[in-house]
Amino acid sequence: MKKVIVGNHAVSWGVQLARTEVISAYPITPQTQVVEQLSEMCASGELNARFIKVESEHSAMAACMGASAAGARAFTATSSQGLALMHELLHWAAGARHPIVMADINRSLGPGWNIWTEQTDSLAQRDTGWVQLYCETNQEVLDTTIMSFRLAEQVNLPVMLVLDAFYLSHTAEPVDIPDRELVDAFLPKRQARLKLDTAEPHSFNALVPPASYMEMRHALQEAMREARTAFDEVEEEWEQRFGRRYGAVEAYHTDDADLVLVTSGTVTSTARHVIDQRRAAGERVGLVKIKMFRPFPTETLRAALAGIARVAVLDRNLSPGRGGIFAEELRAALYDVPAEDRPQVYGYVLGLGGRDIRPDTIDTVIERTRAAAAPDREDLWVGLLGDDGAPATTGRAQTSADSLPGVEA
Amino acid sequence: MSQIMIKDALQQRELMTSGHLACPGCGGALAMRMVLKELGERTIVTMPACCWSVIAGPYPTASVQVPVYHTAFETGAAVASGIRAALDMRGDTDTTVMVWAGDGGTFDIGLQALSGAAERNENILYVCYDNEAYMNTGIQRSSATPWGAWTTTTPVAQPQANPKKDIMAIMAAHRIPYAATATPAYPTDLVAKVRRAKSVRGTRFLHILAPCPPGWKYADERSMELARLAVRARIFPMLEVEDGQHWRFTMDHPGDPVEPYVRAQGRFRHLDDAQIALVQERVDARWTELLGRVMN
Amino acid sequence: MSELRLEGKDLPVSRTTTLGNRTGSWKYIRPVYHDRVAPCNQKCPVGIDIEAYLNLLREDRLEEAVDLLLRENPIPAITGRVCDHPCETACNRRELDGAVAIHAVERMLGDQALTRRVAASPVTQREQIGVVGSGPAGLACAYHRNRLGYAVTVFEAADEPGGMLRLGIPEFRLPRAVLDRQLEQLRELGIKFVCGTRIGKDLDWSLLASFDVVFIGTGAHLARPLGLAGEDHPAVRQGLEFLQEVNAGGRPDVGRKVIVIGGGNTAMDCARTARRLGAEVTVAYRRTREEMPAIREEIADAEREGITLEFLVAPVGFGDDSEGVVDIVFERMVLGEPDASGRRAPVPTGARFEHAVDLVLLATGESASLEALPPSVQVYRGSIAADRLGATAEGRYFSGGDVAGHDRTGAHALGAGKRAAIGIDRPLRAQRASAASPEAVPAELAALSLGPQGNLSMTRWRHDDPVRRVAPVDEVVSPELLNLTHFEPAERHADHKPNGAAATTFAEVNLGLTRNEALAEAKRCFNCGVCNGCELCLIYCADVAIRRATGAYRFEIDLEYCKGCGVCAEECPRGAISMTREGL
Repeated sequence: MKKVIVGNHAVSWGVQLARTEVISAYPITPQTQVVEQLSEMCASGELNARFIKVESEHSAMAACMGASAAGARAFTATSSQGLALMHELLHWAAGARHPIVMADINRSLGPGWNIWTEQTDSLAQRDTGWVQLYCETNQEVLDTTIMSFRLAEQVNLPVMLVLDAFYLSHTAEPVDIPDRELVDAFLPKRQARLKLDTAEPHSFNALVPPASYMEMRHALQEAMREARTAFDEVEEEWEQRFGRRYGAVEAYHTDDADLVLVTSGTVTSTARHVIDQRRAAGERVGLVKIKMFRPFPTETLRAALAGIARVAVLDRNLSPGRGGIFAEELRAALYDVPAEDRPQVYGYVLGLGGRDIRPDTIDTVIERTRAAAAPDREDLWVGLLGDDGAPATTGRAQTSADSLPGVEA
Repeated sequence: MSQIMIKDALQQRELMTSGHLACPGCGGALAMRMVLKELGERTIVTMPACCWSVIAGPYPTASVQVPVYHTAFETGAAVASGIRAALDMRGDTDTTVMVWAGDGGTFDIGLQALSGAAERNENILYVCYDNEAYMNTGIQRSSATPWGAWTTTTPVAQPQANPKKDIMAIMAAHRIPYAATATPAYPTDLVAKVRRAKSVRGTRFLHILAPCPPGWKYADERSMELARLAVRARIFPMLEVEDGQHWRFTMDHPGDPVEPYVRAQGRFRHLDDAQIALVQERVDARWTELLGRVMN
Repeated sequence: MSELRLEGKDLPVSRTTTLGNRTGSWKYIRPVYHDRVAPCNQKCPVGIDIEAYLNLLREDRLEEAVDLLLRENPIPAITGRVCDHPCETACNRRELDGAVAIHAVERMLGDQALTRRVAASPVTQREQIGVVGSGPAGLACAYHRNRLGYAVTVFEAADEPGGMLRLGIPEFRLPRAVLDRQLEQLRELGIKFVCGTRIGKDLDWSLLASFDVVFIGTGAHLARPLGLAGEDHPAVRQGLEFLQEVNAGGRPDVGRKVIVIGGGNTAMDCARTARRLGAEVTVAYRRTREEMPAIREEIADAEREGITLEFLVAPVGFGDDSEGVVDIVFERMVLGEPDASGRRAPVPTGARFEHAVDLVLLATGESASLEALPPSVQVYRGSIAADRLGATAEGRYFSGGDVAGHDRTGAHALGAGKRAAIGIDRPLRAQRASAASPEAVPAELAALSLGPQGNLSMTRWRHDDPVRRVAPVDEVVSPELLNLTHFEPAERHADHKPNGAAATTFAEVNLGLTRNEALAEAKRCFNCGVCNGCELCLIYCADVAIRRATGAYRFEIDLEYCKGCGVCAEECPRGAISMTREGL
């Protein structure tokens, strides 16, 4: 069944088809449509779930933890400040190995208040032990939502699926909504073995002494490693049943490319368009889309990028004091590639706070990458405005003309 | 009958084991033992950070024979809501879901989640065992610490300057079906309230005074005596509140002077007679206020 | 699903209990259960385990309570009526809301005992025991010797046994039916009574040679003259002699006005008896109400019956008046410094006044009659010289009760008789004891006593205590050892219930307690110092280290886990748990 729906509703449909048992969420722009539609679905009976309308995001995650610990399939959705408020419990949910699924609608963090898209909120949670899957289209959102439950329950890790504010959350696209029976076959009812059960009472999450804690962290790391391959298996099965797959990493026209863009989220679609145009003009450019950020698909990325001269990473996020987070992670991943095959990585920071990333923005990225033999710094800023409010000249720093956040001309 | 024979008032079953890590004379440990006796095996407990995070036993041990979910400090009521939802979804509406939280996790950091759960009238039993400070971290003041008390963050030169938060009034304001105060010093009263709470649907709140020998600084063996002194002196009245509106006392409070209670504890050692008179004044004022509620 | 592969070691899930933590190592003091001595037990001159029978009764084990009582007291239906119950004075409940009405409970149990058919005790020992005198001392000695398996013969000067019980106590306090049934039961036990035979007069002591041991319990009946002018006036009589006449069925003319001199039980009995014979009666006592030795209830009864009490007056002489009326001259007294008895002594003021009355009854005490003793028995300060176990210098003769100078109450006489029974048994048992015999002679009498100052326990002598004893210590429970929190107020039952009739008949005045009332009184008992299984220790143990036990102890403490907090000892209502230093 095809429907034209916004990304937020693609999430809701996925949650409904997954027969989620407990939902707990707190409203925040731009996530609100997710919880609104889920409320409607619960109210109408389309979805047989308990929706706990909590008083905060931390309680939303806490309620999901409780529900998941008691064996239920649990879901929440949030964004930005809400995700930041959950931070402590993201650790808790992962450490307790709860297969909770959460949708995060990427939104920038205040202050000042900004409701538009940026990935810093989700990326800031990278060390919490959650699987992170970034989406490019509403179809991918729906498919990823359902696959996330399957993956989460398979490896006992929580999964965060991530979509851009507005560009996906509020943008309507045609989406093929799979049949319920087919989804049921793909995702049976959750069967938790270790759970809160009066017939087999255990305590969970008690004080763990140094003698045992490290092994549990190791087990978490091993679960993440397992999640990497499990994701491919899950997608394999999804593809067999529904004919679609996305890949933890998607390589697009990279085989003969001398310059490859690395993207995630909706920027990918814009970049795809630019690549197509430049390919048509005979330029050897390509694209790598990173869907899975945690576990980080290091091997896959090395295979996709080894031997390519220049890699330009588009980071709609910022780790202040360092730069773009994808670029940083990618550099680390590629460091062990033999020097002769190791690409030069250009890390571009752009589109923060929902600023448009247009094809000409990407053109700028490509041109600046081609213009310099090597980046002179880790963070290369694109699209900054000057003090006069006009677009800053390429390579002009925001604050000082002597400190160029760009490439030597 | 003359001796108050209470042995038959308590269930024989033991859902708590020896070897737990509570301090000698711990009121909170005894409270758990009594509450579980009454609630029975079909109980799931969630505990935010509190003394019981330790008492319940370090991994891989457990000192209670019911499922326990240890959770972050501010999340007791929310986790319980989630557990309840999961059980309901699987058709189990009988198992009692209990939050077991200290005063810090209830009065302070957990108040928001508790308020949320109470407002939603979640079908959970929330028990606050109140030892009147952050004892597990080494006796720091909470909003349950009484006026004038020493703690490590309210040193003698600047003791607790605010009165204890009126948590019962807060809970009553949520119009939850059942709220009560209790103490293990009065086991019959305590288990009767647990029984009552168990039978009610919706959010139920039990505020249990749990004397703490190291935190209050008195000899271990006096735990029950101190709880009784607090009740008799109207410092910690024994109450039931139905639907947030119907307040009643569950025993007589003769109104003994507060002084013996205060003098018995090292945390009040610095108070002079005038200050103790002030404690008395505050207790009397609260009592008058409470009488107003009970009369209505 | 691979979720099933999740292992307990991968996340913090418990696999076991905390029982591996031996928290007992934390403690430096440990709780110990042990029986202490209830103050009533120590104060009972008879040496009854009062606390234990009250506890049995509390558990509604009536017959067992009676059995326990009968182990120490041969005549509870009598003592329950006439004993001055020092046990109640000692009762730790006294200050709270009145002592447990022990004597009233005892009377109920005693009456229950009277309904029993009694089988003769088997005679298992060859020694013959003779008892001279059938008052409380003699009866007690005879009873306990009988129960120890000896053939016992009691000699009584009067026509019927009972001694002072029969002669000195009026029917309205001790109905003859009760006395007779009690004595009948003693006969049923196999005790032989030979009455109307005064040894040393009707029968020479030498004729008792066939008895291996002879107990002398001949009491104190001898009138003690005041030494005042005119005391020989025919209208001045000895009170005890007057009581004996009436108790034997005589109804002498007492005239219109009677004065009784004295403040003890004999004085009360005389006054109330004279009242029943139609007189207006005044009791004149030289001290005040506070110092009166008479039982409080009897004083109250006397006043209720219209008897006037006059205090701080002492007779100084008697004058002859016309027609048998006697003029009694009194001197007004005031209270001075305490005397040897601890009471404030009356001091004459010189102020005198007279009363003309028809009869004066003197009730100021009696002496032991010591003329007709066997020559080998020594006398010291007006009494037979006997040790605590009744032994005299002459090995065959034992003695106890009033004649041996013990406190002049029936209860003390009963206690003395029992001690003598043990005293008689001691050498005999020592003779029988062999290395193979488990029956050993206790090295110390202290091991038999109910408290440092208590009487001896026949039960302990017999080594067959039916009550579970836990590491007994010889310490009386003081009020500080109790935790009264665990008791709620319960008024003492009106243990003395006058029948409401006018003081014209000799019917028993006090109706006593019903069975249910006695049960309620038993429930008022604190069971001082003895675990009664209330379980408060178990209930208040935060370490789940106290468990019900099936052996001698009602509870056991798991010292592997007990942290030594001391809450159990503190909360024990009755001081049956102590904290002891670890390692001691």
